[in-house]
Amino acid sequence: MFALRVRSYYSLLQGTSSPAALCRQAKQRGYSGLAITDRDNLYGLWDFIKACRHEGLQPIIGAEVSEPGSKKCITCLVQNKIGYTNLCGLLTRRHMGQSFTLMDDVASLATGLLVLCRDTSLLQKYIEQGVQVAADLGACPSGPGRTLHTFALNHGIAAVATADSDMSQESDRQLSYLLQAIRAGSTISRLVQQQMMEDLNWLAGPEAYRHNFAIWPEVVAATEKLCKTCTFTGPDFGVVMPPWWGGEGRQPALVLREKAYRGARRRYGDDLGEPVIERLEHELKVIENMGFSAYFLVVRDIVHRKGADGKRKKRRICGRGSGAASLVAYCLEITNVCPIRYNLYFERFLNPGRTDPPDIDIDFSWDERDEVLADVLQDYAGHAAMVCNHVFFQPRMAIRETAKTFGLPDGEISRLTKRMPWVHSSRAENLEQCLSSLPSLKDQDLSPPWPEVLALAQNLIGVPRYLSVHPGGVIITPEPIAHYVPVERAAKGVPIIQWEKDGAEEAGLVKIDLLGNRSLGVIRDTLVAVRAGGGCLDELTWQPEDDPATRMSVAEGATMGCFYIESPAMRLLEKKAGTGDFEQLVIQSSIIRPAANEFVREYVRRLHGGSWQPLCPQIGDVLDDTFGLMVYQEDVSKVAVALAGFSHSDADGLRKIMSKKDKVHRLQHYKNMFFAGCIRRHVDPVEVERMWQMMMSFDGYSFCKPHSASYARVSFQAAYLKRHYPAEFMAAVIANQGGYYSTFAYVSEAKRLGLKISHPDVRTSKISWTGKKDRILVGLQSVHGLSAGFLDRLVRARDQEPFHDSGDFFRRTQPADNEARALIHAGALDSLHPESNRTALLWQWASFQRLLHDKRCLSLFAAKLPPAPPLPPPDTKSALRREYEILGFLCDCHPVQFLPQQGQGLVKVAALPDRVGQRVQLVAWLLTGKLVSTRTGEVMEFLTFEDETGQLETTFFPEVYQRHAHMLRSGRGYLLTGMVEMDFGALTLTVDTIRSA
Amino acid sequence: MAQGFTLRERAVLHFNVADFAVAVERVADSSLRRRPLIIAPLQAARAVVYDMSEEAYGEGVRKGMALRQATRLCRGAALLAPRVTLYDKAMRAFVKELQGYSPLIECGRADGHFFVDVTGTHRLYGPAPDVGWRVRRQARTSLGINPIWTLGTSKLVAKVASRLVKPVGEYIVTAGDEERFLAPLPVHLLPGLSAQELLKLQEFRLTTIGALAQLNRHQLMVPFGRRCEYLHAASHGVDDSRVCTPEGKAEGIDYEHVFAGDINDQDLVEGVVAALAGRAGFQLRMQRQVTRRVGIWLRYSDGALVVRQASCKAGTSEDILLRELALTALQCAWTRRVRIRSCRLVCDRLQRQSPQLSLFAEPDLRQFRQKKVSGAVDILRSRFGHGVIGVGLQYPLASSVDDSAGFPVH
Repeated sequence: MFALRVRSYYSLLQGTSSPAALCRQAKQRGYSGLAITDRDNLYGLWDFIKACRHEGLQPIIGAEVSEPGSKKCITCLVQNKIGYTNLCGLLTRRHMGQSFTLMDDVASLATGLLVLCRDTSLLQKYIEQGVQVAADLGACPSGPGRTLHTFALNHGIAAVATADSDMSQESDRQLSYLLQAIRAGSTISRLVQQQMMEDLNWLAGPEAYRHNFAIWPEVVAATEKLCKTCTFTGPDFGVVMPPWWGGEGRQPALVLREKAYRGARRRYGDDLGEPVIERLEHELKVIENMGFSAYFLVVRDIVHRKGADGKRKKRRICGRGSGAASLVAYCLEITNVCPIRYNLYFERFLNPGRTDPPDIDIDFSWDERDEVLADVLQDYAGHAAMVCNHVFFQPRMAIRETAKTFGLPDGEISRLTKRMPWVHSSRAENLEQCLSSLPSLKDQDLSPPWPEVLALAQNLIGVPRYLSVHPGGVIITPEPIAHYVPVERAAKGVPIIQWEKDGAEEAGLVKIDLLGNRSLGVIRDTLVAVRAGGGCLDELTWQPEDDPATRMSVAEGATMGCFYIESPAMRLLEKKAGTGDFEQLVIQSSIIRPAANEFVREYVRRLHGGSWQPLCPQIGDVLDDTFGLMVYQEDVSKVAVALAGFSHSDADGLRKIMSKKDKVHRLQHYKNMFFAGCIRRHVDPVEVERMWQMMMSFDGYSFCKPHSASYARVSFQAAYLKRHYPAEFMAAVIANQGGYYSTFAYVSEAKRLGLKISHPDVRTSKISWTGKKDRILVGLQSVHGLSAGFLDRLVRARDQEPFHDSGDFFRRTQPADNEARALIHAGALDSLHPESNRTALLWQWASFQRLLHDKRCLSLFAAKLPPAPPLPPPDTKSALRREYEILGFLCDCHPVQFLPQQGQGLVKVAALPDRVGQRVQLVAWLLTGKLVSTRTGEVMEFLTFEDETGQLETTFFPEVYQRHAHMLRSGRGYLLTGMVEMDFGALTLTVDTIRSA
Repeated sequence: MAQGFTLRERAVLHFNVADFAVAVERVADSSLRRRPLIIAPLQAARAVVYDMSEEAYGEGVRKGMALRQATRLCRGAALLAPRVTLYDKAMRAFVKELQGYSPLIECGRADGHFFVDVTGTHRLYGPAPDVGWRVRRQARTSLGINPIWTLGTSKLVAKVASRLVKPVGEYIVTAGDEERFLAPLPVHLLPGLSAQELLKLQEFRLTTIGALAQLNRHQLMVPFGRRCEYLHAASHGVDDSRVCTPEGKAEGIDYEHVFAGDINDQDLVEGVVAALAGRAGFQLRMQRQVTRRVGIWLRYSDGALVVRQASCKAGTSEDILLRELALTALQCAWTRRVRIRSCRLVCDRLQRQSPQLSLFAEPDLRQFRQKKVSGAVDILRSRFGHGVIGVGLQYPLASSVDDSAGFPVH
């Protein structure tokens, strides 16, 4: 028997069980197949197909389609390929259409679909329209079911029994109540007391339905019969490449060749030389044979946007991923590093044995990315949509939402959730145990009802919550995209497909990643500022990696604000390496990853001349470039080939599977292959196990060399600009936001570079930060609470005429109360008062409001504000405290100077190099931290502190972390005691005690 | 002014028993005097602090703080459940002491604050300061509590003076000396200022009452609008408000229930509202009054307060109708899903119950019967206490028969 109308947890906030759990239950209960029909979507299609394959069940593809604004709903089951296309079209129309009714919009897309329906008026209509229908009697006979049954008999249509279930088992009822309460925005107890919980079914065994329908035994037989007509078991599109429509009849391969050679001459000059030609020919041949020529041309057209004048203009980009290994891509200017110069391996990107499509990922400046996407979606309207993300309940979200359904106030929930960084990797059995064991929650009150909240939240983890938009994945298809997959509109307005990237890949849809990158915006803005200041920098000939001063900066780790190489761990590594050259930076940016600390230490040792042997004699020289260490993703493949005799495609398959979420089963297959291959080649079994563990350290978070090289290029550009144009660069870093550190930390860095930070000023400040020579002017964007509308009014009013005084400013810009006060506290109106008296300015703002209230200020001519009474300016501490609250930093000083602990016995950060090996005590401000796990699974943290003289990296070993984690908060001052240590020139403090300063 | 009369300076005494609930509990059990004390509902998991002793305050414990946090801050503190009826009884006992000196006594609800207008009583009881000393002595001996007392020419001045000397002491502000007394004091000692007003004053660097007094009404109008009148008068020590007895002040009937822990149990909240409506109805009937409006004040667990009202044109004192009005108001007030901390029922727009009987037979037999039942229930309640009988829906509010054990009452 088949179970119909089974809803999985992809019926958001309704179903409780995953497709895998449902299939497992169905198998155990003796079903031969089932139809998971989620409400208005096919989100879980690939999970369902995979689970059916695993359990040996026959899948029936389908979905429930509801009518917006009513309770009407039909179930569509796919019978064949046309039916699948029509279901995708129907769901797309349901989500994207201006209006949608089940009465009028179904018939035209009903071919190949079997429609189950409980509404007799709809059934009547569908019968008239020739739609293949059946009456849906639900899980047991009922009053309305009797009417339906009679209707079916009278009209000669089948009546079927359906599970109509939201749960795989009865014990999920509590979780279902929780989901309903979340959906209703209410509390569980109130919903229960108001008797508003929906009546729920769970997936019972076939005998239950036979028993229920004993009075109409033909219903079960009819259900069986109809299910057998649904033979479609899932779509099979092959590889769906984006179409290129720009050739005007010419073959894409020919056009690609022509453009690649033209680009090569632009890059390398007219005399291309043998290595370039050889490599180009090789790549072009592989690309053509594999049928990817059009794909390259589509990406090129995206990067080189045709303007209104018909000419193409290149956008500022950075190629990422393995695509940077292609010389063709480099010549088409869709990547920015020369793969020949940096020895990048084309086969990592494309090889004839590769069966899955490659992806070319491009970074655009973060503020230009939406425009790029809009262009693509417009150029390929109806054929393009973005990939979605299925957002699942994670521990923090699960706890938050569950606690709300228990009526707990937001503040109390936040106090818990904001301090739980370490839930995922915990080995605790349940959430309550896990939270109780978190050092950062040592002082947390987990009294009732928290235990109940946590127990329930535990069940919620992993259930899908909503769809979001993938950061940049776009699918372009030759046929309308709704023929392949249902499309809906995301909250931000863009069309999205209903599958996330793994589903799209499974379906063969080739994804192009168009991502936003803030550092490209930083480089763009810095270059604009440099040129505006009379500087000259030709980007075509700019080779920042060859600049000695820049290399020196990198070697000193002075790269805060520089893309990809600004994290504390990275800067410490740069210092320890002390080389500053491009090749080493490529290695360094790849070797830093979780669980690779021992490799980092070994790398530094070997870099400084330490002796080393290959990991294993059989490996040979494949890892010589990286001192015999596995650094890049492709090193996993290289080792698998060299040690276990893997083919290139198998080795690539192994590399790829390691980054997947659902990998256990397939990884085991590769592990067996690897061990068998090594034993065939007589590798010592102990060594094999060691190699395998080393390869597994690349699990989840690792990069390929082309990616690292491409990013290192941008890193060097940033480092160059920081070295030679610090004011312009730091202003751009802060203006573009979103770096590793807070604005506070970047301001401190700017001060350390000798730059003066000027208060924001409504007369001169732009919205973004600006830098020139040795001065940075704070942008109005950093004054918290200013609305976009107000900023727009301010700039327009200022452009018309400068502000004469505070009254003139208030009258012409009409700020809201919080905006005016924020500007006054930030010092942005100081220049509008003869003595820069902020108290007097506040009084004048109050006067303006009073006049406004009395309707006297709305005349055409400015009413003069009465003079303020003689009020003293705020005391220094109050003024600075308010400035800090509004700006998040201080322009002229550091908050650590105002902490109570000062004086003798305390050391400044700048003096620490003279105290190596000594125990010291100092007062410092906490900037940021990074939690890591030790080999034994204990938690420890690396924290970055600073005072007005410098920045300090500290280590909190597990025992110290355990004691103090609950009191650590960024943006506060602490009194630290610990041992100063130096390792290869990099200074750190190993903290043993800490307390609030 | 009529001839033969002389203008006499007002004399207002302010008595304040700091941490009133603690003081009362320490009277009931002298062993509590030697250690910090926190008063909070103990049986509830999510209880908050009701009151605390000075020592616990010093450790960081505050009113409204979660009990778990409070006990962590002050580990050695003794914990007691609040006994509101006992505190009410203590308030009444103190008022009884004061009634010997003046009929004009104003007091809050179980908060330990008492204003006594002793203007013109010197011939009977001697100078006002003597009254202050005497009342304190009596309170010490008969009640076992040690109040602050202050004397001023107005409630405002007396109140500022007691805030100045808290937690123990006395202060006399002589007539004509008010401005000089107030000028150097920090502005936050002035009563009746909102947190927002205090913030504004701080921003304008008006840190002392004297600095505030420097500004004229017109200037104060700029930032404070209509509040300028009060601020100007208060900063000069001018306060004409009368000392009002509770009877004189009463404009409505007001009952509150604070849940031991915060809750989101709808049946329970509705039960409490029904019980409060029952009490209000009883009081209305005793006073032969009817109310035309019932208000529900819901205090949520995060501190937010929502007030909603329901009214009836004719006015009522019947439990059933009052309960319906209260539940309607509750439904409008309870729109958030955050838990409820307390619930207050206020009946206002009171008027006299019409003594006129109907000329004809009661048109609604059901209503007539209900009235008879109410009358019978009222008799029982007046004889045996309010908790002795109620409708099934009502939540049994804490009975307070035994709460007063151990407190000396005259």
